[in-house]
Amino acid sequence: MLRACRRLFVTLLLFFLFVPLTHASEKAAQDSSGAPIDVVGKVVDHHELAVAGTYIPLPRIMLVEGEWYFYGSTESAVESDEFVMEEGAIAPASGSSITLDMSITSHLMYVWFGLILTVWMTIAMARKYKRGTGRETEPKGWFQNLFEIVFVFVRDDIAKTNIQDNKYQKFVPYLFTVFIGITFMNLFGLLPWGATATADITVTAVLATFTFVITQWNGSKDHWEHVFWFPGVPGWMRIILTPIEIIGLFTKPFALAVRLFANMLSGKIMIICILGLIFIFADLFGSIAGVGMSLFAVPLTVALYVLKAFVGILQAYIFTLLSAVFIGMAAEEHAHEEGVEAHA
Amino acid sequence: MGLLAAGIGAGIVAVGAGIGIGMIGKSATESIARQPEASGDIRGAMILTAALIEGVALIGAIVCILLALGIGGG
Repeated sequence: MLRACRRLFVTLLLFFLFVPLTHASEKAAQDSSGAPIDVVGKVVDHHELAVAGTYIPLPRIMLVEGEWYFYGSTESAVESDEFVMEEGAIAPASGSSITLDMSITSHLMYVWFGLILTVWMTIAMARKYKRGTGRETEPKGWFQNLFEIVFVFVRDDIAKTNIQDNKYQKFVPYLFTVFIGITFMNLFGLLPWGATATADITVTAVLATFTFVITQWNGSKDHWEHVFWFPGVPGWMRIILTPIEIIGLFTKPFALAVRLFANMLSGKIMIICILGLIFIFADLFGSIAGVGMSLFAVPLTVALYVLKAFVGILQAYIFTLLSAVFIGMAAEEHAHEEGVEAHA
Repeated sequence: MGLLAAGIGAGIVAVGAGIGIGMIGKSATESIARQPEASGDIRGAMILTAALIEGVALIGAIVCILLALGIGGG
């Protein structure tokens, strides 16, 4: 009975895998005018949330010349005659431009989903530890065990090894939140209809700004001395070194933001490109070649998918690790008795 | 022209990142072979350094994507 069910399930899975593909490749062969896959449209931000083939419009909040406009969706904004559609984007009907666009977008929604999940999970676990489970007894259930492994990993392997002495405890909450939050945001992109919020430079820039502010806020005296008055070099060298060090303060979070963004974006584009090969082949050599190509492209996409899941967790780890390294470098207090000091 | 520049640029970026990460991998495996008990620390340092190189490479890759898509006046 179980085996029959499983066989039916696999057959149905294969059927649903190939029917849409043959259909799509035939359709692509028929009209070769338009591009079958909109690569840029798949990765950019949208003003609607796609769920199971339908689109839920998201609110538009815009500031135009000192006046706020609130609408439930892009459509209702156009219907109110205050705004018109211009080249696929919304613009005020009066001819002026939008000063500030605070609209809720799909990427923002996925940031919120990730953070809500993180906060909910962490608070639920904190309550459990407060009650004594895990402190006085052993952790109960697979979830608490998993949570504890991840938390201890962040605390011991990321925070403790990179931040000096007993200062690390202050930063563990931030590092843990960032780690879990980015992991969720990265993995949400793998869900059907999901969007990778971290494949948006604005999201990663905000995360990197957090790290930047925390780093500078907790910078020790030695950190600022290294920036403005580099010790142990001839005086005229400081004319060159000080600007370099000041630029260095900003390039670190910039690289942090771009690294996460580019990794997530490139994974997405790679999957779309390999699926796009099906349509290119169908377009060039007919639908039979498209079907043949799909036999090759679909397993490759599955492999890339697994790789993307791995990269999503790895990039969250790297972001957290580098945040910890930067914070540790800034918060470090040097022992000045040793004379020549190591500079990272 | 933008497409050509993007293609050449992506190639050079791949060469640079490949050399860099290859050298990290070489020395990491060598040091793990010499001192297997320190493999945990070495792996951490390896990932950190590889991430730093990758960051530079990906900035290049992003510039290439922008060129290819013709964003930014290309």
